[in-house]
Amino acid sequence: MTHQARTYWRNLEELAETPEFAAIVEQEAPRFRDILNAFDRRRFLQLMAASMALGGLSACGPEAKRRQLLPYVEEPENVIPGRNRYYASAITQDGYAIGVLIAHQMARPIKVEGNPDHPASLGAASAIMQASILQLYDPRRAQSIIGHGNITAWEGFVSALHDRRNALKARHGAGVRILTGAVSSPSLTAQLAALEQQFPEMRWHQWEPLHRDNEYASAIASFGRPVERIFDVSKADIIFGVESDLISATPGWLAYARHFAAARRPTETGGAMSRVYAIESTPTLLGAKADHRLAMRPSEIVASLRELAALVGAGPQKWSEQNQNDARAAWLRAAADDLIKHKGSALVHAGREQPVEVHVLTDAINGALRGFGNTVRLIAPVTAGASSKRESISQLAEDMASGKVDTLLIINSNPVYDAPADLDFAARLSRVPFSVALTLYEDETALACTWRIPATHEYETWGDARAFDGTITIQQPQTRPLYGGHSPQQVLAILLGDLTPDSYTLERNHWRQRAQQEGRGDFEAFWHEALRVGVVPNTAASALSLTPRPATAFELPPNVGNSGSKLQALFRPDEGIWDGRYADNPWLLEMARPFTRLTWDNAALIAPSTAKRIDLETHDVVEISVEQTKLRAPVYVLPGQAPDCITLSLGWGRTAGGLSVGVGFDAYRLRRSAHPWITAITSITKTGERYRLATAQSQDRVLGRDLIRESTLEQLNSSPETVVRKGKPESLYPGYQYPDRAWAMAIDLNSCIGCQACTIACQAENNIPVVGKDQVLAGRIMHWLRIDRYYSGPADAPDIAFEPMPCMHCENAPCEVVCPVHATVHDHEGLNLMVYNRCIGTRFCSNNCPYKVRRFNFYAFAYTNDRPHESWNPQVTVRGRGVMEKCTYCIQRIRTTQIAAAREDRKLRDGEVVTECQQSCPTQAIIFGDQNDRGSAVAKRKATPINYVLLEEVNTLPRTSYGALIRNPNPAIRDERS
Amino acid sequence: MAMTLTSELPAAPVVAPDVTLASLSEQVSGRVLMDRAPLWWWAGFGFSFTLFTLLVIQMAWLFVNGIGVWGVEIPVAWGLAIAEYVWWIALASGGTIVSALFFLTRSPWRSATNRIAESMLLSAAPCAGLMPIMHLGRPGLFYWLFPYSTVMGVWPQARSPLWWDFICLIYYILMSIMYYYTGILPDLATVRDLARSRFKQIFYGVLALGWRGSSEQWRNQRTVYAIMSAIMAPMVISVHSVVGLDFAGGLTPGWHDTQFPPYFFFGAVISGTAVIIMLTIVVRWGYGLQDVLTAYHFNAMAKIMLVGSVMLAYAYVWEAFGPIYGSDVAQKTEFFQRAFGFTAPAFWSEKILTVVIPQLLWLPAVRRSRTLLFLISGGIIVGMWQERFVFTTSSLEHNYMPSYWGRYYPTFWDWACLAGTIGLFLTLFFLFLRFAPIVSIAEMREVIEEERSK
Repeated sequence: MTHQARTYWRNLEELAETPEFAAIVEQEAPRFRDILNAFDRRRFLQLMAASMALGGLSACGPEAKRRQLLPYVEEPENVIPGRNRYYASAITQDGYAIGVLIAHQMARPIKVEGNPDHPASLGAASAIMQASILQLYDPRRAQSIIGHGNITAWEGFVSALHDRRNALKARHGAGVRILTGAVSSPSLTAQLAALEQQFPEMRWHQWEPLHRDNEYASAIASFGRPVERIFDVSKADIIFGVESDLISATPGWLAYARHFAAARRPTETGGAMSRVYAIESTPTLLGAKADHRLAMRPSEIVASLRELAALVGAGPQKWSEQNQNDARAAWLRAAADDLIKHKGSALVHAGREQPVEVHVLTDAINGALRGFGNTVRLIAPVTAGASSKRESISQLAEDMASGKVDTLLIINSNPVYDAPADLDFAARLSRVPFSVALTLYEDETALACTWRIPATHEYETWGDARAFDGTITIQQPQTRPLYGGHSPQQVLAILLGDLTPDSYTLERNHWRQRAQQEGRGDFEAFWHEALRVGVVPNTAASALSLTPRPATAFELPPNVGNSGSKLQALFRPDEGIWDGRYADNPWLLEMARPFTRLTWDNAALIAPSTAKRIDLETHDVVEISVEQTKLRAPVYVLPGQAPDCITLSLGWGRTAGGLSVGVGFDAYRLRRSAHPWITAITSITKTGERYRLATAQSQDRVLGRDLIRESTLEQLNSSPETVVRKGKPESLYPGYQYPDRAWAMAIDLNSCIGCQACTIACQAENNIPVVGKDQVLAGRIMHWLRIDRYYSGPADAPDIAFEPMPCMHCENAPCEVVCPVHATVHDHEGLNLMVYNRCIGTRFCSNNCPYKVRRFNFYAFAYTNDRPHESWNPQVTVRGRGVMEKCTYCIQRIRTTQIAAAREDRKLRDGEVVTECQQSCPTQAIIFGDQNDRGSAVAKRKATPINYVLLEEVNTLPRTSYGALIRNPNPAIRDERS
Repeated sequence: MAMTLTSELPAAPVVAPDVTLASLSEQVSGRVLMDRAPLWWWAGFGFSFTLFTLLVIQMAWLFVNGIGVWGVEIPVAWGLAIAEYVWWIALASGGTIVSALFFLTRSPWRSATNRIAESMLLSAAPCAGLMPIMHLGRPGLFYWLFPYSTVMGVWPQARSPLWWDFICLIYYILMSIMYYYTGILPDLATVRDLARSRFKQIFYGVLALGWRGSSEQWRNQRTVYAIMSAIMAPMVISVHSVVGLDFAGGLTPGWHDTQFPPYFFFGAVISGTAVIIMLTIVVRWGYGLQDVLTAYHFNAMAKIMLVGSVMLAYAYVWEAFGPIYGSDVAQKTEFFQRAFGFTAPAFWSEKILTVVIPQLLWLPAVRRSRTLLFLISGGIIVGMWQERFVFTTSSLEHNYMPSYWGRYYPTFWDWACLAGTIGLFLTLFFLFLRFAPIVSIAEMREVIEEERSK
């Protein structure tokens, strides 16, 4: 392989080694680059000869035992084309498991659904969970083991690490460091514990950029020990959110959102409905649903919460004595009265971005409101070593700087990109002589390490993880590693002396031992049941009987620290790409963010009043400096944002790792260990440049249309018939009759929290292509189901409404009459169908659709999407160029269920057909079924007085109807808005 | 009507007094039979053909890459192509109106200009016909609109205005070709008789279909021509109304309006006449036909144009009155966006070009000035293009769903398509100019006889 100082080539083999050629190979056939780099001609011939000679022996290898080729003469049992098989597993977020069921078609994983038996999912699946299937197939994932710049075989790495191990043994593991994310996996924790035993000097560090340090630190202050707070949202009549991620990100949010929405459907609860207050700096999903919301700067939140604590008797009285007369004080007093009135059924929740003090106050208030034992439950931490992630990574960085670290294993973490900027992690990492990165992508950290090992996706390996309430799921692989990855357990096993680690054996051994200890009886039976259900029974953590020390709030420093600067920056997780780990996922990149509706970019979010003051508008590029660091970012003016607070979402502006390189700006550069979430902005200057942001929504308001019908609980209970005015549809023609079934959908606006899970679920199920930023800008985004976000009221404190928009399946469908070739037609059950093969692309149907739910393939989008063919859903046609498409009410699911029922010679049951959006929805906002069946859930929802259809005056008779948005305002708070 | 219109016209002769039957035949046929075309013809044809090649390139690019190369999007799924379709078909319809409607009214000025009108119509119709096909997502499958029994067993969807439009367009183009041919038959025979080269004798001989000029043939030709005129005149109104229904049949605010069919017809009258005036001025100058195309003709056509602009003004009033008087919020918003939003410059300049400036035609001096006529006509054509563009896109941009409002920006290829079809139009017209008598010799003979008998 070494050719020194030659400037010419003599034969084609040499030519083939030019970087240009390598680049071509890389681009055209990434799977062959290993071969290109690993062999020269002689080596290739040697190996060919050897493999010819040993060909017969290969059947004796260890692989052969596991691989089985089956002729199709006798069909494998239960592998039926067109029918889904489901396998339970789990995906982790923040280290916590969320149970999934993965649908397989012909033995390949196609689709992620929530596991109804899992406490963190209850059947729902978030947008990120939905998109994880695309990540599994992502061809841009790391695919080769690279050691010191050369592609190496796994065995090469094993021997290198094993050699290292022997050397380390002598010095008890001094200099060995392992860096992981938050770990809830019992088997991985056990391995790490075993390692710590073998190498007493070894240190295990953890880093999560979106850490929940403040929650744990405050728990120590409040309860004397780190605990997890678990919420019983169904018992909460009053919820007070402080920049709360209760229904958007906190571990267990899918389940919380389900209970939250269930308590806010007055037509189903007999007229009762919870009331939500929110104080926050940037709109959160909970804030959007709040009946009363106040936007304030991060530094004002502490003061407000102190005031609230004093008002409910959880803090010194003098805190509430300032600012007696302003509107905010009145607002807080009303909220406090309301909370006091609901002692035992009130819940205060603060988001992870809030400082320790806020969490301490939250505990104190919850304590005063008798929340513990009612709405809040405490359990022992679910993740292992739940100490401060910030301290952990700082310690590691310090040790690296002082040369104490000579062996560093980084497992599924990307500190070079996301560690606090002041740690200068990259420079310090370069001083570590032996560093290994086990990562899914060749990301910033992998490139900075001496060894990089492709990691397995969570769906490719055996493993386990715990949910927010402690429940354990054993993760089973859904496929063999597609790109030759290895699991963390395997890598750690090498350090433990296992030279041929196999994740299946490791996992089973761990559980065999544990099942024995716990006396779970027959292991095989236990193992099978755990895998089948996706939950290990009776593993939920039991509640700790702790209450906050009553005095904690009183011991807080008397004054709220003032940051000095007027402008503050608030760092937030991105709704799609989270901390950046999903930044290579085109579904998530193109997902319109709930509030900004931005795709393919992040932006500096700024309040309308502040923007006006410093003369900024959306698309302006500003330079934000925090101390010495400068960052250029486009501005997005966001109604509802707190004045003088700029929100920066993390995870963008990657420099390595694939698709997202150079997309958006990297807010981590401004993030320091001392100020992980909220920091003072030194200056902000307008550069004069413009940057085009691509949003998926045009107007922010309904412009006089009756799209969002809104009312109050009081009106609903006193005169329900006035909530929505209904016209009488008139027509000269007799309507079509649907004597058999009439498919219909009901969407409850009150339940919809705008989380975008349905949009991405629909994209996954229905093979909806990604179009890219340019095409989003050109108005060609393809989502069949979008969630419109409308504002009403003043720009700085608007009311926010989300409205999911699938196809309305109008009975008088305007699209059908204008199609000259019968490409869109009605069926006998009332479905508005799209016959792709007949479509010639006049696009008149889209022009004529008042709801604008039709999407057109202006280019062959699906054919240019970079994803393996096997990842498409074989149940749904992949549409070609020049064809119209739209929501079908998941006709493939309807037909599959109908056929199954017909085979069993029975009628379809209500709830048997579940559309994909309905399936994924955490809040059950979407109900689908037969509206002819009076007893069906959908018919019942449609019979409620709050049911209405969009643009009734156009007389399209939509089958999709909406439940009006009901707010439950506190009569004691008078808003300026009408 | 015929009498009033004629009697209002000035005493200027329809044809110069020194034109005789023989000199007319010589003059008109001579242009067809000349061996070498004049330089201005080559210049014009060369320019047109260059533009036409742009259309070919544009089509190739479009068909290879897909409709995405244009600026169309959701919600503005129809863009320049459809606006231009309406524009071209209006120009073509104007030709039919001049030639068929005024044949029925026996207007003497029509005889000299009808061939120019028909040539224009046959040049514009392919441009119109190409647009809807190019704009399809899968243009190769346009023939699925034909009502023929396919293996799919699916007939076209008869409720769709697009299908009505397709049928109308096909009949219109076929009828126009036949109408043109019926009218030109005696003239082709004249050219054949005057041709000296063998090739031209055979070429025009074949085209003349054995026309001998017998009274029987004349009687048949006149009868057929009259019947076809009687069919064509109402047909062009219905064809253009159906084009209007493409929009009026839609649910989009700004389109959903019963005035569209007559509105479109008014547009056709004014823009068709305008383009005929422009072409007549060019032909008259280029071929030196001052004797045949006199001030009388321009005066008459200018008045038609004036009538058209007044009719259009009436339509514009209703364009505003409907949404403002009506109760539909969406209609109202759409109109105000159209008039005062992004499209405002195009909206107001279009009103000025098509309604305000043409009011100058009330002045006889303006009607006599061919320069002013040429400029006003050009302005009308540009204004009508803007009008089509504004109502096509603005309505879609400001649809019922505020969340899905859009903005249409034409791309380079959109403009290439416009330039290319202008090239196709001019190319075809220059070919007509060169190879077919551009003034109806047979009808002019009648006029000369009538003048003489006065």
